[in-house]
Amino acid sequence: MSPFELAEPRSLKAALKILDANDPSVRVFGGGTALMLMMKAGVFQPTRLISLRGIEKRYAKVTSGQDGSLHIGALITLSALGRTAMVKKRAPVIVDALRTLSNVRVRNVATLGGHLAHADPHMDLPPVLIALGAQVVTAATTGSRTLAVADLLTGYFETALAPNELISEIIVPSQTGWRSAYIKLTTRAADDWPTLGIAVSLQTDGKVIQDARFVVSAATEKPLRLPSVETALRGATISDAVLARVGEAAVAEAELTGDAHGSAAYKTELLRVYAGRAVRKALAA
Amino acid sequence: MTTTHKNISFQLNGRPVTVHAGNHQNLVELLQGQGLYGARESCGQGLCGCCTVVVNGTAVSGCLTMATLVDGADVRTIEDAQADGQLDAVQQAFIDAGAFQCGFCTPGFILMTRQLLDAHPNPTEDEIRHYLAGNLCRCAAYTEIIKAVRLAAKKRKG
Amino acid sequence: MAITLGKNNSGAAEFSSVGRSIPRVEARAKVTGKAEYVHNLRLPGMLYGKVYRSTVAHARLHSIDVAAAQAMPGVHAVYTAADIIKLIPEPYYGPAFHDQPILAIDKVHYVGEPVALVLAADPHVAEAAAQLIVAEYEELPAVFDEVEAMTSKAVVHEVLKPAGTFPDLKHLKDKRDTNIALDFHLRRGDAQKAFAEADYVFEHTFRTQQVLHLPLEPFVTVADPTPNQLVIHTASQSPSFVRIEIARLLGWPENKVRVKVPYLGGGFGAKLYIKLEALVSAAALIAGRPVKIALTMEEQFYTLTKHATTLRIKSGVSKDGKITARECEVWWNGGAYADIGPRITQKSGFTAAGPYDIDHVSIDSYALYTNLPPAGALRGFGIPQLVWAYESHTDLIAKGLNIDPLAIRRKNILREGRPQATGTVMRDAGIAPVLECLAQRMAWEKPFDQGSGTIRRGRGIAIGFKASISPTTSVAIVNVGADGSCMVHCSTVDMGQGSDTAMAQIVAEALGIPVASVTLVHPDTDVTPYDMATLGSRSTYHMGHAVKLAAEDARDKLLALARDVGLSAETTPIPDIFRKKYGMQAGNIVGIGSFIPPYTPPEPGTGLTQDATPFWMIGATGAEVEVDTETGEFKITRLVNLVDVGRPVNPAIVETQISGATIMQLGFTLSERMDFDAGQVTNASLADYKIPGIRDIPAVMENEAVDMVQKSGPFGAKGVGESGTFGVSPAIASAIDDAVGVRLTSLPLTAEAVYRGLRANAGKPLKG
Repeated sequence: MSPFELAEPRSLKAALKILDANDPSVRVFGGGTALMLMMKAGVFQPTRLISLRGIEKRYAKVTSGQDGSLHIGALITLSALGRTAMVKKRAPVIVDALRTLSNVRVRNVATLGGHLAHADPHMDLPPVLIALGAQVVTAATTGSRTLAVADLLTGYFETALAPNELISEIIVPSQTGWRSAYIKLTTRAADDWPTLGIAVSLQTDGKVIQDARFVVSAATEKPLRLPSVETALRGATISDAVLARVGEAAVAEAELTGDAHGSAAYKTELLRVYAGRAVRKALAA
Repeated sequence: MTTTHKNISFQLNGRPVTVHAGNHQNLVELLQGQGLYGARESCGQGLCGCCTVVVNGTAVSGCLTMATLVDGADVRTIEDAQADGQLDAVQQAFIDAGAFQCGFCTPGFILMTRQLLDAHPNPTEDEIRHYLAGNLCRCAAYTEIIKAVRLAAKKRKG
Repeated sequence: MAITLGKNNSGAAEFSSVGRSIPRVEARAKVTGKAEYVHNLRLPGMLYGKVYRSTVAHARLHSIDVAAAQAMPGVHAVYTAADIIKLIPEPYYGPAFHDQPILAIDKVHYVGEPVALVLAADPHVAEAAAQLIVAEYEELPAVFDEVEAMTSKAVVHEVLKPAGTFPDLKHLKDKRDTNIALDFHLRRGDAQKAFAEADYVFEHTFRTQQVLHLPLEPFVTVADPTPNQLVIHTASQSPSFVRIEIARLLGWPENKVRVKVPYLGGGFGAKLYIKLEALVSAAALIAGRPVKIALTMEEQFYTLTKHATTLRIKSGVSKDGKITARECEVWWNGGAYADIGPRITQKSGFTAAGPYDIDHVSIDSYALYTNLPPAGALRGFGIPQLVWAYESHTDLIAKGLNIDPLAIRRKNILREGRPQATGTVMRDAGIAPVLECLAQRMAWEKPFDQGSGTIRRGRGIAIGFKASISPTTSVAIVNVGADGSCMVHCSTVDMGQGSDTAMAQIVAEALGIPVASVTLVHPDTDVTPYDMATLGSRSTYHMGHAVKLAAEDARDKLLALARDVGLSAETTPIPDIFRKKYGMQAGNIVGIGSFIPPYTPPEPGTGLTQDATPFWMIGATGAEVEVDTETGEFKITRLVNLVDVGRPVNPAIVETQISGATIMQLGFTLSERMDFDAGQVTNASLADYKIPGIRDIPAVMENEAVDMVQKSGPFGAKGVGESGTFGVSPAIASAIDDAVGVRLTSLPLTAEAVYRGLRANAGKPLKG
């Protein structure tokens, strides 16, 4: 690594001011783990970095909305997120996904905002947050906006963020009446990037599924909702036949890519089987 | 005014230190400059745990931590684990259980085990495996390490 | 407390130091982070080196532009082969062939080959400058597959230059325009005739993938050009070889090169012979300053790997399952430089027919050059590849004849006193005891729950054997001080296997003194005598003998000294003997031991010999698995590993060695695979090359050394480091087959491969 300047602003406002929209080698970071990896590999050589670690503490806290939603500061570390009682209670699927997300030391440092802004399609929380119907709030010197996590992630390592725009908060709406699950499939070692990720949220009334969000990740260039699966689930009562239809709908809609984790054909078979298993896991949650 | 290098002051194993460091250096390099070699860069990607350092009470990968970010922090390394020349319960348990071979990964496993036992004084096997999933041992003394963690938990309770 | 010379226990059945599970002698240093590794070393004025590497697999090297790198502020120098040649006119090294240049000369032979070296006081500067180097290549056709290399028009090296260093590799020949570095042939009986007469003939082809050692301490070397000597501090398993080879390259006497080795952060066969030492030495001498090169994890992928192989095996079998003939062809993918591949091809090659009593055997084993990163020794020295083939083949025969896998092994196993394929008679080789013990542990003859629905269960067993390396020399010195404590000078490298502890136990036993009174002097060629190398599970046996002989020599001298001064050595504390002799605490007793086991080289052409090895290592594994028939995913629910290591010197360390070897092989079986694109490794990091982690370990693992004694070994012991690897891969493949009827013939065993097998069996093969 070659020398670079490091700015450590004390407020979000100051950070936004330093962020130069015209210089792509100026970059902000929260935990900096992904950034360090890119710099060490020589794929990113910055002239100046901006650490967000010193800005107002409120951007690392979780608060409750009056409607039962979770307002999560983007600078919260993944470890702190997993330890937060409110998160454990209202969105336990996040805590479950964190168990196998990277490792303790990375989770101790990496932030939720960075995790989303990095837009690596193998990340575990984006599909989960999309299934939960989460939104992000962004900040820029020109103002703030709110958009769905599904709309934040626009492609392979690509987001809808402007060069001078940061994620300041993640809002997870009230999950009352919803049950969720995430399945991370690895095919090489137990701890690995996922071969396939599946996140499901189901709103149930007794045994009948009222509404559903079904997201597939890791084998796609960004996490994808599969509307045909959601349609197949709405109004259904779970049976082997319904789950078989869910699997068929998933593979009919999702186009998966092959890589060193497995061929596209094999990942498709995994999706066919695990789509139903994910639904069962969500119902049991 | 920002610069590429700066003077940083921090607590290193309980003693104040001031050094001139570059932003592009990592915490492992910083510690080597202080004559501490127990944290070792191996995979360079935060996956193996050989470079584990405890910063403000939290375990981090030294190889992914910019040196200048520990300005003002409390930094603890494996060299701090002994109190008054006495091995701590985890170190002794690793010896008693024969939980290492080449020893290169051992400081990282010991520091992570201390953190694990702080968070879960009676860890289940599942908790042990999940907590230590980010530490690799190529000699693969994993079954002995699990034994050592259990033994350390017992020793800590006295 | 005064140390008294104890009883010499050499002939006893019960020992006081050997056979005890004491903690490692260096345990405290390792848990406090203070153990010494080369990694820790920084010398005043030291420069860091960063290697610029080839980006193409096979090419003429037209030019190297180092101007921009040289001009970078902070760069001390940039060297290419042209600079090296001024110091070392023939800068080629290697244990079997002198084929490897210190930096590429005229040609590059694989992606990742060192081409130039940048030196700077700041390692970050060296790294940045190396990125500014540009080389111009004229690409040549490349060959990557070991079978294609036999006949390929692409020739990796135009001329082969044998090293002539080791007595067992004296037969290597100067050859031109071939990729075959060595061809080994064994002929016993008449296999072709036996095939014609056999009731059944089975033939299968198996493959193994290229993998690598990945010690967590990557390769690291420091060279310090002092006024009197070149001092090399290196993470090496073979300090004596390094000294001799560097002295040869420089044209210096041995005593002008000093090689020091502290602890190693793992070796597994990677850190043998010359790796960084020649480059770092040359750079330090040219620069006139100490130089350190510490490779990154990524660079290990370009340095040394394990041979990928193709193995064809054919057997003639009678109706009742007796194997009458076996023919084996093995092609070893050696990559761009031979390293020790030729020895693997021969020494492991002669066991390719397996631990079976077969009258007619034909083996052809070929060491091949290809344009891939070089392959060498890796824990098992080729044996795991061979066992993978012959045990999978044995199970396929059993299945074909509807015979139980245990029964077919019992019928054919090579028993004590019977000749192995070379003609060497088996002695102290617990093949049958290990197999029987495994059968018992697995409760093989009891009913087994095969599961139901979408979860099916299966089990498998496999057994393998290995010869030791011979003829190889070990020399040791035991130096008893006037207070009765003693130092052991030996060049065995403790890379985690626990040799310091084992040697201390052996010396303590031979002198009858406490282990705590024995200290190991780490390898330093100025003060520790010659040892061939720490490899092939040879240290406990070879160096164990040498230190035992040295201790016995010291003991004899102490007894003589006591007699001279009129004392009884067995009742007088050792310090009193010295005091009586010298009038004060003064003097030393120095014992010397040297060991070289007997050996008869194989006859050229037939490969036959009456004395192929001083001892045999035996390892067997039993596996139980659960397979998900909907996805092909499987998990290993139980792994049982049994070995014959003779009488263990330290049972606890031996158990860790068995389990560690097994888990390493588990990685090579399930998840590890170097992926290539036109010779470029595409997964050169621990993020994408997956070694086993703590969550990959089977829920139940049992490891046991069966009750055996190696009568020719020191205190009945023999080697242990590799035996745990032998049976792992075929046992798991066999268990999967038992569970769902899918037999995989290529490693690694992946869920996708199982799933594809399931689909193929159902007549609906998975497309794409």
